[in-house]
Amino acid sequence: MVRRVLSLVSARIAAGVLFVIVFLAVFGKLLAPQDPLAGGPQQLAGASWHHWLGTDYLGRDVLSRLLEGSRISVLGSVEVALIALVVGAVPGILSVYLGRAFEWLTLRVADTLIALPFLVFAVAVTALLGNGISQAMITVGVLISPLFYRVSRAATLAVARSQYVEAALISGASIGWIVRRHVWVKVLPPIAVALAQTVGIGFVVVSSLTFLGIGVQPPAPTWGGLLASDLRYLHYQPYAPVAPIVLIMATVWGCNQLADAIRDVSGEAGRALLNTRRARVNRVADREPVSVEGGAR
Amino acid sequence: MSADPAAPGYAGPGRPVLEVTDLEVHYGLRRRRRRVLQGVSLSVARGETVGVIGETGSGKSTFARAVLGLVHASAGRIRIDGEDVTGYSHRQWRALRRRGVVQYVFQDPLRSLDPDLAIEESLIEPLLVQGVGRAEAVARARRYLARVHLDEDLLRRLPGELSGGQRQRVTVARVLVTEPALIILDEPVSGLDSANRVQVLQILKDLRDSGVALVFISHDLGSVAGVADRIAVLYEGEIVEVAAARTVINAPRHVYTRLLVGSAPTLRSAAADRAGRDALRARLRV
Repeated sequence: MVRRVLSLVSARIAAGVLFVIVFLAVFGKLLAPQDPLAGGPQQLAGASWHHWLGTDYLGRDVLSRLLEGSRISVLGSVEVALIALVVGAVPGILSVYLGRAFEWLTLRVADTLIALPFLVFAVAVTALLGNGISQAMITVGVLISPLFYRVSRAATLAVARSQYVEAALISGASIGWIVRRHVWVKVLPPIAVALAQTVGIGFVVVSSLTFLGIGVQPPAPTWGGLLASDLRYLHYQPYAPVAPIVLIMATVWGCNQLADAIRDVSGEAGRALLNTRRARVNRVADREPVSVEGGAR
Repeated sequence: MSADPAAPGYAGPGRPVLEVTDLEVHYGLRRRRRRVLQGVSLSVARGETVGVIGETGSGKSTFARAVLGLVHASAGRIRIDGEDVTGYSHRQWRALRRRGVVQYVFQDPLRSLDPDLAIEESLIEPLLVQGVGRAEAVARARRYLARVHLDEDLLRRLPGELSGGQRQRVTVARVLVTEPALIILDEPVSGLDSANRVQVLQILKDLRDSGVALVFISHDLGSVAGVADRIAVLYEGEIVEVAAARTVINAPRHVYTRLLVGSAPTLRSAAADRAGRDALRARLRV
């Protein structure tokens, strides 16, 4: 699967972008040239040799704050996606097999969660349990989980009623065997697509929450928090929001590109697409000697 | 067990592998409840092939699914290989299926093979479920692939890369690997061209000769006539006639059987013209 995904150029570029983002998240603190929390005398200064991306309204180095903020932003969005995956996909697959009572219950829970506005609910939960990134991310993850529930349930339903699953059932296969051998492989591509999209959504949510001052205690930096402070001083530094916006956009773009690539190469349609591309490449390769001869003349 | 081949309980010369008595199946609940099978009795012995013939909606596939435990029987008894399976729980059915006593060949071989699994994986699956080691399962799969006249190099291919005839032979090989006593075949040759049809029918004849009991479900009397020892005619959920294949074709007793024989273009006895068939249909409606 990984090899098939990476055979697409768009996927390789997206993977490269995301690798850089993850690298920044892991090593950002070490790469930061200055203390991201330490203020200085030069407030709202432009780019200089000492401050590559300038300083903010308290004279703190913007580059150092961006690098330091990568960890919370990336971890927060991954946390949202993983919580949504576990809370949504597992009951989504099992709802097809564990009887009508479980199916009814999980469908009603999913319907209820969809109806709740997650940003408002995250604000309410953090007000109740205290302002922290984990509280906010768990809340958002649970509220996004119906996406995974619906995707995994739909994919499982399509497979569960297929004849090859019935053939396995007639051979005496257990539900666990059928899920592992037949269902999981079919459910994985749409789940991977939903996961990549959710990481993107998670980024926007983390940025939105930190923009509102929820989830992260000041003065801890995040990309969304930086954007919020930059926007307040836009008339002094009109170019200041560019750096956090570029990072957020690049990450969301990378996740969406990767999601599209996974969708494109998965299943029979994906195999057909790759075979067509391979055939086209082979045709071009076959034609090459002719064009070389033509060029030599 | 009756000694008369025309009796539903007659099960050929061997020990019965399948004994179905007064089987009744309903679909739906309360006001939507409708009868699909009623009073169906049929026995199949080792080395015998019984054809189950009927039009679409007559209950052929429901009969097969009831025998496999995939639908619940409202009444009647089902015995498989001497074991009364009528009131079996899910767990008991799974244990029975795992032994590989009864197997099923689907009508559409493309849809009955996992499109993402290589042929080898589909073939060895019933054995892996039984707990057979992978190496032994692969060796057995190769043996049975040869028995259905397929090359070993197909093992690495995906179902979509095989022809319809090859796929159907793969599905036959898949049911053979567990060495079942009874195989139910649901229209196994209906989607095949004549060359592949002949090849698959010959494989079924060889199977019967090796002592496997076969239930051949079809709407086409012509394809069953050459293989079946006996034929049961299913009409609106009831068996209206059971007799030796030759008798059903040459001297059909029931009006519906006569209509079927008259409508089968491949049968020599299909002499009924359009007017004759219309007359038979009119008699059925009365």
